[in-house]
Amino acid sequence: MIKQTDNWLERNTFHHSAFWDLIKLVEEKEKKGLKISLCIPTLNEEKTIGKEVLILRSELMERYPLIDEFAVIDSGSNDKTLEVAQSYGADVYLASDILPEVGNKRGKGENLWKAIHQLKGDIICYVDADISNIHPRFVYGLVAPLIQRDEISYVKAFYDRPLNYSTGLRPSGGGRVTEILIRPLFSLFYPELSHIIQPLSGEYAARREVLEKIPFPIGYGVETSHLLDLYEKYDLETFAQTDLDRRVHRNQTTNALGKMSFGILQTFFNRLHAQGKLDRMPDLETFYRRFEVEDGHYRQLAQEVVEEERPPMIEVEGYRQRQDAS
Amino acid sequence: MLFEQTDSETALRPLLKEIPERIELIRQKRDSFLTDAVLLGEIPSPTFGEKERIRVVADRFRENGLSQTLVDEFGNASAELPGTEGQSSILIMAHADSVFSPEVRHEIQVGSDFMTGPGIADNALGLAAMISLPRMLSELNIHLRDNLILVANSRSLGRANLEGAHGFLETMSLPARAGICVEGSTLGRLSYSGLGTLRGEITLQVPSDYDWKRFGASGAISHLTGLINQIREIPIPKEPKTQLVFGGLKCGSSYNTSPRQGSLRFEITSEEDEIIGQMENQLNEICEQFSAETGTRVNMEVVAKRKNCGIPFTHPLVRTTRSIMQEAGITPQVDPSTGDLNALILGGLPAVTLGLTTVENLREVNETIRLDPLYAGMAQLLTLIQAIDQGICDS
Repeated sequence: MIKQTDNWLERNTFHHSAFWDLIKLVEEKEKKGLKISLCIPTLNEEKTIGKEVLILRSELMERYPLIDEFAVIDSGSNDKTLEVAQSYGADVYLASDILPEVGNKRGKGENLWKAIHQLKGDIICYVDADISNIHPRFVYGLVAPLIQRDEISYVKAFYDRPLNYSTGLRPSGGGRVTEILIRPLFSLFYPELSHIIQPLSGEYAARREVLEKIPFPIGYGVETSHLLDLYEKYDLETFAQTDLDRRVHRNQTTNALGKMSFGILQTFFNRLHAQGKLDRMPDLETFYRRFEVEDGHYRQLAQEVVEEERPPMIEVEGYRQRQDAS
Repeated sequence: MLFEQTDSETALRPLLKEIPERIELIRQKRDSFLTDAVLLGEIPSPTFGEKERIRVVADRFRENGLSQTLVDEFGNASAELPGTEGQSSILIMAHADSVFSPEVRHEIQVGSDFMTGPGIADNALGLAAMISLPRMLSELNIHLRDNLILVANSRSLGRANLEGAHGFLETMSLPARAGICVEGSTLGRLSYSGLGTLRGEITLQVPSDYDWKRFGASGAISHLTGLINQIREIPIPKEPKTQLVFGGLKCGSSYNTSPRQGSLRFEITSEEDEIIGQMENQLNEICEQFSAETGTRVNMEVVAKRKNCGIPFTHPLVRTTRSIMQEAGITPQVDPSTGDLNALILGGLPAVTLGLTTVENLREVNETIRLDPLYAGMAQLLTLIQAIDQGICDS
């Protein structure tokens, strides 16, 4: 079932430092006549939104004109999120004001979906609002592969969790939901997609022409559904991923992660059902796939995990004899 | 003299008139400057550990198209904005080191009218202001005749004893007309003299063969307390103004074990170098005597020493700075410096230190700068540079 994925990993996995030359990137973007919109979905993010808007606008619109449009799309914050974002020059929208005829649903996916209608860019880059170590790389690292490689349509971020640095080896270190839920699920049902190192990362950039063709769950399942739907519609070649180094953000409670997992599972099983994978269940994969990075190279580790089973003890002859004797 | 003064005042008048408009323009063009303050502030930069922050400053100099960008052997990043004539130079200096260790989380929070985080005022803001000058001058359509030399100096604080600033001045090739040290804190600060300073650390050790049965035997904490009491007996004159500050005390690690060693950090500042010398001798004598009487090892190390220096209150540079501040609505607060200004003035350069905005919780992890007063702070800096360039501040 795995096709040429090692090669994909080499070809379509980048590190943000490869795109440090922003002057060159802007030139390439202009040569191709591309317009890029940046969207930050928000709900009560007054503590981090100011820094994100200030740094990304100043560096990527004023100093290097990589971004053509900068929008904050809000779900109805009751703190100063909008005031702070506006004071640093972002275009601010309430999700409920966009396409009012379709109604208003409250969730991050709603804001991302409505951004497609509101924003004008050929490429839309989504960045979460809760990054406390925001840096321009969070945007240029994601849009650069789309500018440079026409066959790529969707670029996901992945990050470092600086563990085991002293040995030169570090695990891929997704979040808890990624490691406990998504990676095992992908290994079982979509082994090719298990090459996406952090499938739940909230930062990604995509071409309008693919975003407009897929549905958007409004809640926790939006990142998972993007991967499943685009993979089904196109193939792995449509994806790329960029290492953005470290991302510092809020830590979530286990309860919140449970709720998130529940939402993701709904999205996942809906897709399995729609794609006929539940009705005609294939043989389940026995390889669990995870990642390692060594000396800047990404390597997938496939570990066979075969869940062998024993029959009920009552069916074992020796057990029955012992029971009869006693 | 009277004629010169009138001449200077006449030349300064048109510059003063532009200040209100400048404040507004700086407010509109603030983003790149504030971005640099955040990006630099989030890079830990303890004294002797400024390398990464200095690298980013040098990158910014290059990105801004400045010539002769270099990082010297002292760890300073410098660059030059060539003047239209280039006969002389104006030196702008902002220290790159901070009092916070890398273990402190260097995260800056940005609100609509404030920024908060360790070292944002001292001195990420000063550094960002210095870096922004070429761009701001261009926005304001100011073309300097003099070269503008920008220096992010390392190794300024504490034990570093202004090593970076001294090192840069020793190797600087062009003659400079005047210098300005830029500090984030505090708006209204006007330093034109450097205060004589001695910083030292006294370490006390209870030796391994210490006789715990002798009369008065005790651990390092009790001994240090006794030593401090003796030091406090040193008479401190009110005139010339002199001060002795105990800035740090380290000793012990548990509830029930007498520690065997400890240290005390202190600073003496005085308007008279001789007083500092006398107090240094007295401290040495107290340490020797205490050591002999208690059977402990007491050692005093002088980690930084600076002489008094300064330019007069009536110097055209100081006078012009006051006029600019007044026009910008800033109340000058004369404050002798113990920082980089000493290196500049002792190096023969007329110089002042300016602060850029109002600050709360200075040198705490929640150090906070206010943005609204900052634009006037920047306008004073830019106008002073222009005044120096036009010869208004020459003596």
